Amino acid sequence: MSTSTAELSMTHVHAVVEEVWTTFLGGGDPLYEIAPPTDRDPAEQGSVWDAAITVTGAWQAAIVICLPDGVADAVTRAMLGFAPEDHLAPEDLIDALGELVNVIGGNIKSLMPGPSKLSLPLVARGPISPSTSLVEACRLDLGWGPHSLRVVVSVPADQDRDQQAEEA
Amino acid sequence: MKILVVDDSRVMRQIVIRTLRQSGHGGHDIVEAENGREALEVVQAQSPGLVLSDWNMPEMTGIDLLEALRAQGNTTPFGFVTSEGSDDMRARATGAGALFLIAKPFTPEAFDEALAPVLVG
Repeated sequence: MSTSTAELSMTHVHAVVEEVWTTFLGGGDPLYEIAPPTDRDPAEQGSVWDAAITVTGAWQAAIVICLPDGVADAVTRAMLGFAPEDHLAPEDLIDALGELVNVIGGNIKSLMPGPSKLSLPLVARGPISPSTSLVEACRLDLGWGPHSLRVVVSVPADQDRDQQAEEA
Repeated sequence: MKILVVDDSRVMRQIVIRTLRQSGHGGHDIVEAENGREALEVVQAQSPGLVLSDWNMPEMTGIDLLEALRAQGNTTPFGFVTSEGSDDMRARATGAGALFLIAKPFTPEAFDEALAPVLVG
């Protein structure tokens, strides 16, 4: 099923993130939406990891997930099946977070008109800023236990204008 | 049976191998490759009975791997395990000769449904 650009909403993005989260992390704490602005900015919870991926083609976007250290660590351990005492190398975090944004990006892409192509993921300790030609189309702040994370979908300005025109 | 798991993510290869076990298909000999080019060499050298491959990888993508195998006349059963499960990707996979496409995130049940006809039948 694909949707029009106008229909990409926080609801769609939340549903995708929720499904990926539940499958990878099992039946732990649920994700819940936090109304922005939030005092639980991921950046306020220590250092953060950003994982980004881009979509090019009939639908274009950059998808960035921002996770504080605690969430990045927990996600990686869950994906690898590691115990709390097992040592995590930075390569493990980069690999796991890259796969996380790859799966979330691939599933969001599948909702949108095609054909389009998914890039390889990019993971950094610190902020990744999408190209200045992109504008933020959707921002989702989610709580997970005491932590929070953020998912931002940015699209080209003209694509965003088309979306707003369709919504009007 | 020997199963070749191809993914550029070590984490995802481990998840795929774990899910094989959870879906009741854990008794197989698993070999791994990090991209399509490496997988092509492993298929030629080790003749696995099934290839489970990611789509989007550096060096050589999964679809390029499948097309290269079929161009060589190699008919090893092949399935995708990928984050992209749109209708056009599924059609392209089937057209190139893939038996199935399992979309990430997946469950052990989805694995069993796709793999049982190949591994049990």
